[in-house]
Amino acid sequence: MPTASERGPSPRKELHIFYVLDTSGSMTGTKISTLNHAMEECTQVLKTEAQKNGDAMLKIAVLEFNSGARWITSNGPEAMEDFEWEYLTAGGLTDMGMALDELNSKLHKSEFLGSMMGAYIPIIIFMTDGAATDDYEGALAEIRQNEWFRHSTKIGFAIGDEADSKMIASVVGDSEAVIKTSDLELFARLLRFVTVTSSMRNTSITPESAMDGKSIVADARRQMDIPDSVTVELKPEEYDPEPDPAPDDEWGEEKW
Amino acid sequence: MSEALQSGFQVKTLFGGVVRVNRALGEGGQGAVYLVDYNGEKKALKWFKQVGLGKKPEAFYENIKQNIIRKTPSEEFLWPLDITEWAEGSFGYVMDLKPDGYYEVTDFMLCKVKFQSYRTIIDAALKIVSAFRVLHNAGYSYQDLNDGNFFIHPRTGDVRICDNDNVAPDGTETGIVGKPRYMAPEIVLGKNMPNSLSDRFSMSLILYILFCLNHPLEGRRYLTPALTPGLQRELYGSDPVFMMDPSDQRNSPHPAVHANTLRVWPCLPDYMQRIFLDAFGRKALEKPSARPREIDWLNVLTRFRSEIVPCPCGNEIFTQQGTRCPCDACGRPADVSFRLVLSGYSIPAVRDTRLYRCQLGTCDEKEALTPVARVVAKADTGRLGVRNLSGKRWDAVNTRGEALKVSPNEVIPLKDGITFTACGETITIRENR
Repeated sequence: MPTASERGPSPRKELHIFYVLDTSGSMTGTKISTLNHAMEECTQVLKTEAQKNGDAMLKIAVLEFNSGARWITSNGPEAMEDFEWEYLTAGGLTDMGMALDELNSKLHKSEFLGSMMGAYIPIIIFMTDGAATDDYEGALAEIRQNEWFRHSTKIGFAIGDEADSKMIASVVGDSEAVIKTSDLELFARLLRFVTVTSSMRNTSITPESAMDGKSIVADARRQMDIPDSVTVELKPEEYDPEPDPAPDDEWGEEKW
Repeated sequence: MSEALQSGFQVKTLFGGVVRVNRALGEGGQGAVYLVDYNGEKKALKWFKQVGLGKKPEAFYENIKQNIIRKTPSEEFLWPLDITEWAEGSFGYVMDLKPDGYYEVTDFMLCKVKFQSYRTIIDAALKIVSAFRVLHNAGYSYQDLNDGNFFIHPRTGDVRICDNDNVAPDGTETGIVGKPRYMAPEIVLGKNMPNSLSDRFSMSLILYILFCLNHPLEGRRYLTPALTPGLQRELYGSDPVFMMDPSDQRNSPHPAVHANTLRVWPCLPDYMQRIFLDAFGRKALEKPSARPREIDWLNVLTRFRSEIVPCPCGNEIFTQQGTRCPCDACGRPADVSFRLVLSGYSIPAVRDTRLYRCQLGTCDEKEALTPVARVVAKADTGRLGVRNLSGKRWDAVNTRGEALKVSPNEVIPLKDGITFTACGETITIRENR
C-alpha cells in the first residue's frame, strides 16, 4: 500500500496558448510598448492561473513576425512557471504568410504538441497592425489542412486603422472572432480578457457555452464596457471564412 | 476586469446590513470573491459577473434569497447568509470566510498539499457524503459539483462546501449545467438538467479522485493527442468507460500516467472497489437511479475507516475482518488483539476504533455519523474497552452468561465472548488468537 502522501499529482492534459504577434516597423513606438506591457500582464495572469488549474497544464508559445518569423519560445511551448516575458522590439515587414508557415510546421505532435498526456485543442491569438507583405493566402490554404489549426480556438486583434481586417478575419476564419481597435489601452484590457477566458477551464458552464473564438469575443463584449466599433462586420464573400471542421469522432493518432 | 469591485465599495444588503469591500480574494468564471466587512464582521462576498447571472438573473437572485431564508442544511456548507441589493447590474451574497488551514480539492490533486493519512481521506469523504445526504434529503440539489467547491483540512479531514449559489430545490433549472469533466453523462449529452442524481455522479467522482488521484473516466483513451470537443463528448457523455471496469478494458490505466490508481486500487477493500464499480459501471453511467446512494457510501466508508489500523512504522494497515493482517511496509502483523463482530462484518478493536450509527442498521440521515461506541484505553493500565457513546443503556452479556446493563459513558472491557446490543444490533467481542 502506498502511503497517502506517496501518491503523485493527478495527471492533466496540456493546454497551449499560442501568441502570433506582429512586430513589424509600423509597431514602433507606443504600440510595441503597449504590446510588451500587455503581454507581461498576460504572463502574470497565466502564471497565477496555471498554479491552480486542476484541469490543464498551461503552456505558452510565442511567435513574432516581421521580415520573417521567429519563435520566442524556440524549444517549444513553455510551462508558465518557467516563462518570463521578453521585451520585443519592432522593425521590418509584415510577413504573415511566413508566420503561418512557421506555425504550421510546429503544430504537430512530433513538434510542439507531443506529450504523453496529449493536449486540449490549442488557443491561437493573432495580432497585427498592418497588411501582409507576403503571400499569406497560400500559407493559409496550407495551414488549414492542419488538424490542430482547424480545430483550434482562434482570435484575432487588428490594431490601428492600417490593420487589414479582412486578412486577419481570414486567418482566424471568422470575422466575429476579430477585435478591431485603435485604443491601445482597450487592446491591452481585451488581450488580458481573451487570455484569461480562453485559458480558464475551471469554470462552470451553461448549455450554450462554447470555446470558439467568436464566443469569447462575444463574452468580452457582454462583460466589458466596450464600443460596438470593435467588431468587424464582414460578409462571408468579403473574406475567406474557414469551413467548420468535419465532425471528428476518431481516436486515431495519425492525422495529428 | 472592468467589473471588479474596488476597495471601499459599499452596498446595502437585503437582510439589514452593509458590506464594504476590503480586497479581492479570488476570481472564477461566474464571479469574484472579496474579503468584506459585514456589519463589523469579516466575511466573504461573492460578487457575480453579469455573464455569471445566467439567462434569468431575477430568478437566480430570488433562489439565493430563498436559500438564505431557509438557512443552511448542515454546518459543512458555507451557506449564503445575506444578499446585497442590486448594484451596477449585478449583486453578491455574503458567506463565512474559508477557515485557515483548508485547501481546495484542486490543491490535493496537484499535490500542493497532501492528506496526512487514508483515515483523513475517509473522514473527508464521510463529511462530503454526509453533507450531500442532508442537502438532498432537504429537497435540494447542488447542481454544479466540482473540484473547486470543497475546502478540506489535510490533517482533520474537515470539509467546507462553498459556491452554494446554484443550490436549488431539486428539479429547478438554474441555467448552469456544471463544469466539464465533472458533469454526469446525461448532462453532458443534454438529455437532462442537473439534479440530485447527477450530483451523486459528480460526488462519486470527487471521492474517486480523493482516493486514487485520477479521474475515473480518464484512462488510456484520454491520452489521445488532441482532445477535440467530439471526443470529449464521447469520453464523458456518449461512451464513458471507467478505467477499472473489468468488463470493458478500452480505457484501462496506463502504467506511467495512472500510477496512482494502479498502486491504490489493488489495496482497496473489495467493498470499496465494488462501490466504485457500481458508481462508474455501465449501468450507473446510463441509468442515474442506479447510482450508489449517500447511505451506501456512508456504510462502506465507515467500515473502511474502522478497518484501518496505524502501524508503528508509520504505515496504515488495511485489516480484513478485524484480524492481525501484516503491514505491507514493515511486515509486522497489525497490533489487533480483539475484534468487534457486527452482523455483516468484523472490525479491529483498537484504540480509537469508532462505531458509527450507520454501521448498526438503518438510521436517520442526521445521525448516520454519530459515534455510538468508541474503543478507549484505561489511563493507568492501558487496557482497552468499549465506551458507550449512544446516550442510551445497552444490554450486555458477560463471559459468564450474565445479563448486565451498560449505562451511557460506561466502558465494557475487551474480553472474548462478551456481547452487547446497541441500536438494536448485537455486537460480539472476540479475541484474535
